[in-house]
Amino acid sequence: MPKKYHLHAKATPLDLDFIFKFKIVRGENCINCGRCTKVCIYEAHKRRKNDPRKMADPNTVLCRNCFRCIQECPRGALEKSLARDFLNIGGSHWKPDMMISLWKQAEDGKVPVTGAGYRGRFTGPGFDGMWTDMSEIVRPTRDGIHGREYISTGVELGRKLNHLTFAADGRLQSKIFATIDIPLPIIFDIPAENLSANVRLALVTAAAEIGTCIFLPAAGIEPELEKYRANIIPCFPAGEIEQHRAAISRARLVAIEYNEALLGELPRVQAAIKQIGSALTIIRVPAVKNVETIVSQLAHAGAEIIHLVADYRGMEVGGKAGSNPRLLKDIIRAVHLRLVEAGIRDEVTLMASGGIAMAEFVPKAMLCGADLTAIDLPLLIAVGARLYENPEKLLVLPEGLDKVPVQIVKQRMVNLMVAWHSQLLEVMGAMGIREARRLRGETGRAIFFEEIDHDTFGKLFKKGEAARV
Amino acid sequence: MRPATVTIKKTPSRFRHQVPKYKVTRSDACINCGTCARTCPYQVHERREGHNRVKPPIDYKCIGFECQNKEFCCVGKCPRKALSLSLNPMYETLGDPRWTADMITGTWIMAETGFPPERKDLEYNTGNSGGGFDKLRFKFPAQPAKVDPAEISTAIPLNRRNDGRADVVISTPVYGGGMSFGSVSLPTMVSKARNASIWNTFSCTGEGGYPEMLKPYDDHMITQVATGLFGVREETIQRVKIVEFKYAQGAKPGLGGHLLGEKNTESVAKMREAVKGTSLFSPFPFHSVYSIEDHKKHIDWIKQMNPTALVSVKVSTPNDVDMVAVGSYYAGAHIIHIDGGYGGTGAAPDIAKKNIAMPIEYAISKVHNFLKSEGARETMTLIASGGIRTAHDLAKAICLGADGAVIGTAELVSLECVRCGNCESGRGCARGIASTDSELADLFGEEWATQRLTNLYNAWNVQLVEILQKFGLKSIRELVGRTDLLEHVDYSK
Repeated sequence: MPKKYHLHAKATPLDLDFIFKFKIVRGENCINCGRCTKVCIYEAHKRRKNDPRKMADPNTVLCRNCFRCIQECPRGALEKSLARDFLNIGGSHWKPDMMISLWKQAEDGKVPVTGAGYRGRFTGPGFDGMWTDMSEIVRPTRDGIHGREYISTGVELGRKLNHLTFAADGRLQSKIFATIDIPLPIIFDIPAENLSANVRLALVTAAAEIGTCIFLPAAGIEPELEKYRANIIPCFPAGEIEQHRAAISRARLVAIEYNEALLGELPRVQAAIKQIGSALTIIRVPAVKNVETIVSQLAHAGAEIIHLVADYRGMEVGGKAGSNPRLLKDIIRAVHLRLVEAGIRDEVTLMASGGIAMAEFVPKAMLCGADLTAIDLPLLIAVGARLYENPEKLLVLPEGLDKVPVQIVKQRMVNLMVAWHSQLLEVMGAMGIREARRLRGETGRAIFFEEIDHDTFGKLFKKGEAARV
Repeated sequence: MRPATVTIKKTPSRFRHQVPKYKVTRSDACINCGTCARTCPYQVHERREGHNRVKPPIDYKCIGFECQNKEFCCVGKCPRKALSLSLNPMYETLGDPRWTADMITGTWIMAETGFPPERKDLEYNTGNSGGGFDKLRFKFPAQPAKVDPAEISTAIPLNRRNDGRADVVISTPVYGGGMSFGSVSLPTMVSKARNASIWNTFSCTGEGGYPEMLKPYDDHMITQVATGLFGVREETIQRVKIVEFKYAQGAKPGLGGHLLGEKNTESVAKMREAVKGTSLFSPFPFHSVYSIEDHKKHIDWIKQMNPTALVSVKVSTPNDVDMVAVGSYYAGAHIIHIDGGYGGTGAAPDIAKKNIAMPIEYAISKVHNFLKSEGARETMTLIASGGIRTAHDLAKAICLGADGAVIGTAELVSLECVRCGNCESGRGCARGIASTDSELADLFGEEWATQRLTNLYNAWNVQLVEILQKFGLKSIRELVGRTDLLEHVDYSK
């Protein structure tokens, strides 16, 4: 049995302000009776330290929205509302609640658990429009997902053969391609520019600790990162192989950006990289309108790993304004299906990124057909970055983050990945699947809103449909 | 038709203030003349005898913008135009798209009065989730057959097998969900049971054993056999009319139950035959069930132990829930209870609640149709749960094919749950509903809670009768599977 993949979370609070949801204001008609301190079990209400005759301002960050103080204040002196920061942050894709959840996961590395049922919208765009299946009696292991038996979240990157050929005497004739194992179907994408040195180093060390890799532009890799070369994926334009010989020679994976010229050049480019070292090549392809055609051509031309890059909200890129862009869920499905139809799906590895915001997006992207995913913004939200979608994308790093020790920044990123790993296990456990690789393209184990809604309500209520049933 | 045991009594909130929908603002222009206190019939304003100043407005008593058409409205009456009315920002912190603030407020009013709210400003029947029940509407005929409400029956039989076992009939097509001793406080658990006996329906022990306090309500209790087998004993199986196998739970399909160590107090541990303070996990799934044959073996085992009891099988809603239901039919179950993905829980991973398994609306339709095509529908009772929030949800579920429903969250909301979702953390529920903390579990008594539940069940029953009357139907059983009486907001155009 392989050694168990086990990540270590460590409670790591970060003493920087982050958004909170509820704001309580004490009105002037407060009579300092102290009723609120008695009823609040979260200790949001306290008397003033220096003058216990008076109530302190509510420590509203601690509020869990139980309404006890509001309902029991004899004067009705307390008012609660949604905090302004909470209302302004994020947007339609990166919802404020998600950011609070990511921040919390980064703090303790635990799977977010709450009471009461689901509280959100019935369905939504993209990955919110699908559910994962479960099984009533099939189980992945005999003693639970955290038991003795191994549930693998590992994935393999690289080209694979469709079938093996053997000589008449039984000798294997096929040449088996090298592959690279990553223990978690998540790679760190190219980080935002202008990160402080500690955050950048934390990203690399976090990737190393959990055994995954991080994309970094080859041009600016600091010499002190040399010892993490197994975890760094240098990215460079296909024409600059010679300039980056050193980085390529040491890497396990390298990445080049796709452009039209690359299609004809690909065999030559990959051969040139192979000559320098043993690295496998990732081709980063922007998720444009006809991306499935591009991916199919690249796969036919011998591409090893293809990285579909959607925008930060998981939308198609490069479309004209008003052109109703596809979402990552549908892009992955289209690409996967095209490769399946061409009979070459198994030969190439497909990575997807853009708008992967919560743990559930990872198994969902895989069910749609990706082998693995890449993320960037959640790792920064874990350390207090605030993301705004309106009026345009804006990423604000918290003041003082550059002074936080690397160890703490790194641990929070690791914690987030611990929480995501555990959540991936939960989803796989419910499905009765013990190999993450088996999630890929298993649309039969997913429930898609548009399909099931049509099959149920569409058939019952759509005019014309009803007549046919 | 409500049983003779039901009496409705006004049972107000146990708190001083309600959560206000509106905000009445008094500006500096106020001269404390007291006109508002004299004119407002709802006691929003008060000016005490001998006080110079009018007290701050009590927002939650205000009936809102509809008041502005009334002659006595304070905003119009104020000689200084010092009063204004707006939506209260506090209201936004209550509820969510599934359980809107209006829905919670409406449920509170039902639990207080025993009847649907008279206020016109609350949309308490439908949520704002943008799918499922929230997209379905009733298609009432313009001229329904005349039916006398007194003749309308809301009773449903639970045993349709004609197998000589108990003929259990419940008076209203809904019963209380399983909440284990440990996950909710004793007053909560006992009042649920008392209300079940008052309403001639059922409540369920959940998987944490059968506290002695519930003994008087044996005829109205379902005892649960879940994967952890906590508190399952021969004598508890023998004392009830219905035994339920819990395979999975909608909020966390494919994951076992989990009672956090903090909630495993001395009495809870004793009941569960476990060690105090340790976290207790129910494994997933039944480790002795690998097939329908194994499942039948379990059902036979219960049937042997209690020769009159009915067997209910509670499952979640995977893609193949229809096959599971038919399997349970062949295994000899009386009730197939399907629990949808958006159902409630005392503690579940957020990722499971949102993403795993399908919402109940689809599953009802799937199971109903498949049982029908297999010729098993008339023999099985189909019970739906997991996202049945209101009487309208219940009636829609029945139209889609269920015989009745199980509710959990709605019951707790009637006990003034605000759905803050902190049932599992620290000392547990701040409002004393889902807590075994010695201080918090003492926040309300059984009398109050039982009456609130009885009132809620009554309000729902009144609404059901009204719906049946508008359709010109005499029995809730005539509503089963009548999708032709529904329309879809988007599709039925």
